[in-house]
Amino acid sequence: MRRTLRTLLSCTPPLMLTLAIPFANRVEPRMFGLPFLLAWIVAWILLTPACYWLVYRSEDRG
Amino acid sequence: MSASTTALGIVALVIACAAGVGLLAVRRMRMTPEQYIVGGRSFGSLLLWFLMAGEIYTSFTFLGAAGWAYGKGAPAFYILCYGPVAYALSYFIAPLIWRAGKDRGFLTGADFFESQYGSKRLGSLVALVGVIFLIPYVTLQLSGLQILLSIAGYGTIDARLAVGFAFALITAFVFVAGLRGTAWASVVKDALVLGAVIVAGLIIPAHFYHSPAAVISGVLARRPQWFVLAPGFAPSGVAWFVSTVVLSALGFYMWPQSFAAVFSAKSGDALRRNAVFLPFYQLMLLLVYFAGFTALLVVPGLKNPDESFLVVLQRFYPPWVLGLIAGAGYLAALVPVTAQLLAAASLVTKNLLGGLREASTSAQTAWTRWVVAIVASLALGFWLLRPPTLVELLLLGYNGVTQFFPGVIFALTWRRASAAGVGGGILAGIATLIVAAVKGGASSIAGINTGLIALAVNATLCVVLSLIRPARARAAKEVAPAG
Repeated sequence: MRRTLRTLLSCTPPLMLTLAIPFANRVEPRMFGLPFLLAWIVAWILLTPACYWLVYRSEDRG
Repeated sequence: MSASTTALGIVALVIACAAGVGLLAVRRMRMTPEQYIVGGRSFGSLLLWFLMAGEIYTSFTFLGAAGWAYGKGAPAFYILCYGPVAYALSYFIAPLIWRAGKDRGFLTGADFFESQYGSKRLGSLVALVGVIFLIPYVTLQLSGLQILLSIAGYGTIDARLAVGFAFALITAFVFVAGLRGTAWASVVKDALVLGAVIVAGLIIPAHFYHSPAAVISGVLARRPQWFVLAPGFAPSGVAWFVSTVVLSALGFYMWPQSFAAVFSAKSGDALRRNAVFLPFYQLMLLLVYFAGFTALLVVPGLKNPDESFLVVLQRFYPPWVLGLIAGAGYLAALVPVTAQLLAAASLVTKNLLGGLREASTSAQTAWTRWVVAIVASLALGFWLLRPPTLVELLLLGYNGVTQFFPGVIFALTWRRASAAGVGGGILAGIATLIVAAVKGGASSIAGINTGLIALAVNATLCVVLSLIRPARARAAKEVAPAG
């Protein structure tokens, strides 16, 4: 369970910034004034550290 | 005082300040090769963050990001995308490379290959390929310096002479300070660069259009397609974008100076924390895009898009603002160039002139220093000759170092992978790149990034050769995960 969650958290951001790009390739709806494609990329730049912080926290270091 | 004296005076002050901090950090320090090349493996996650950010976000990144935003639009976003993907990968890979390096005293990426595959010849091959591809990269930074200094000089100085002088200063700095000095100079650089991108990306758009959002609307009104990628396999289209992000992310940590940065870490944990927080640095690039878009509206039709936002500064702002920003840009070239020269020199002394192993540690450091000076002169000479295909060469460089990726991954995960397989794969990958470049497909073939195609050839050959002649119980072994 925990392992699955970790895998999910670590794989999602890279996939969203690569394979998901064709689906985000549009101008509307604009978010905070940014075209959608740019807003999508910026959102995942912010979410990547969040996901990886959780991955980091969940590791046992002993 | 004339505008150019003010601007260039401030650039000089900024350089003196950063070099002073760097030199202060290494005063009275005994320079063993380990200290000189990888900072004594002692950097915590904060200093490491500055060093890596310093190496990655170069003056050419900033000028190029603004230039692409100005000249190409949405394809520029790839620079924004690949960083986080690369950091995600490095979260898992960098600590493993670091562990091997710590246990067996590696100083260069070639050491990693030599030891993991038990082959000196493979180590030399990797060193040679690394040095060859580093030189155009250093040369490219010189072109960035030339843009900065000629604009800050308001056309009154000989830019070539200024670049030669600026580059001599950089070389002298790295000669003395080594990697630790570079990391500290990077701290000054980042503080200034942060200020510079805030001016460039928020104050300039606000000055002309009240907000970045209004700039975007302005660009959309003139060019409705500027912020979307061409569909499918068109040139610079979606397929190119995705394949380029993937390739750049894989190649990101394969540069010789990135190996040095990984080895300079204090622990695997410092690298992991670093990987978690590095994506935030990408947000600076967003501001740089705003500057590029604003320039597109304010000074359209420039011959060299890379100059776009500097031209806006030069025309509409006082010289001291231009001086501070050009100074930040200079430091953004100083840090990566010092790291690159250091990495190239250590590959030459340690892996190509292997006989030095019997020399005393102080002699090794001295050798590395002089090789730094030699590599620097080569890069300067190369720049003065000004090969017409500089951008092509850089592309070849990035695609070229990415060919190390299969060897790194297999070293950590697949025991059968052999030196012959990895070496053959690297050579085949590079041959593919050269053939493609000669046939005019240096950047993409059928809408896919050429480097990725070469990487596929490389990995396939590597697997096939390794299956035919597997490594004899290679030392693959010792790299235990976690740290």
